[in-house]
Amino acid sequence: MRQPGIGSGGAFDWFFQRITGVVLFAALVLHFLFLHYLNAGQVDAQGVWDRLQHPFWKTVDLLFLATAIYHGAQGVIMNIRDYFHKPFWRLVAVSAVWVIGLGLLLAGAMTIINLRAPNFFRIPAPGEHPLN
Amino acid sequence: MRYRVKTGMAAWLLHRITGLGLVVYLILHINVISSLHDPAGFNKVMAFLGSPLFRFLEIGLLAFVLYHAINGIRVIWVDFFGGSAQQAKIFWVLAVVGLIIFILGAIPMIQHGVHGLDAGFIHW
Repeated sequence: MRQPGIGSGGAFDWFFQRITGVVLFAALVLHFLFLHYLNAGQVDAQGVWDRLQHPFWKTVDLLFLATAIYHGAQGVIMNIRDYFHKPFWRLVAVSAVWVIGLGLLLAGAMTIINLRAPNFFRIPAPGEHPLN
Repeated sequence: MRYRVKTGMAAWLLHRITGLGLVVYLILHINVISSLHDPAGFNKVMAFLGSPLFRFLEIGLLAFVLYHAINGIRVIWVDFFGGSAQQAKIFWVLAVVGLIIFILGAIPMIQHGVHGLDAGFIHW
């Protein structure tokens, strides 16, 4: 019988964690090759911005972002399943992971597609719009 | 109850610890990059992250990423390609490969930390 807060058996999650792992491995190799080997040097706003103008990098970075967040969230959820035994707290913890994950996906995607992203930990100056 | 820590269990535990560390890094990374809309602020953050403390932490990040990525390959090898009988041996072979990549990566990082980014990469 399924118990609340436990969810599915996790076979799909288990399998997809390996698939996304392989994707992230490929992304990691690309990242090191292009950003730390072929284009080694100072990381500044202009450099990152210029690179993000190219549709190829926008696509790669969006894919990288979504895959990394999924893989990371799923990894944390695997830990929650192992150490949180009360169904209620499991549900709370797993929900929190997805809410935070979606927030990060939104912030990251907004940065990649050149929208203004909220900077979570920065306290806005008086009178400043939080999204500025 | 006493656990008998063998290679496979230690590998699994380290995979968890490095994975959780990488999640913390990912959250901070997305936050830092999202300050890109303010170039001056972004460059200030980058200069702050160029301090020796963060250069040192960055070498730790390389170690975490390498461990998680390479042990991930071992996990897939064991799960899908019949590596379970030799999993401990595979672990130690990959550990040597990982250590070599770590040293190759850490040397330029230390050079940059000591001499600044103008030091350039070492040529092998």
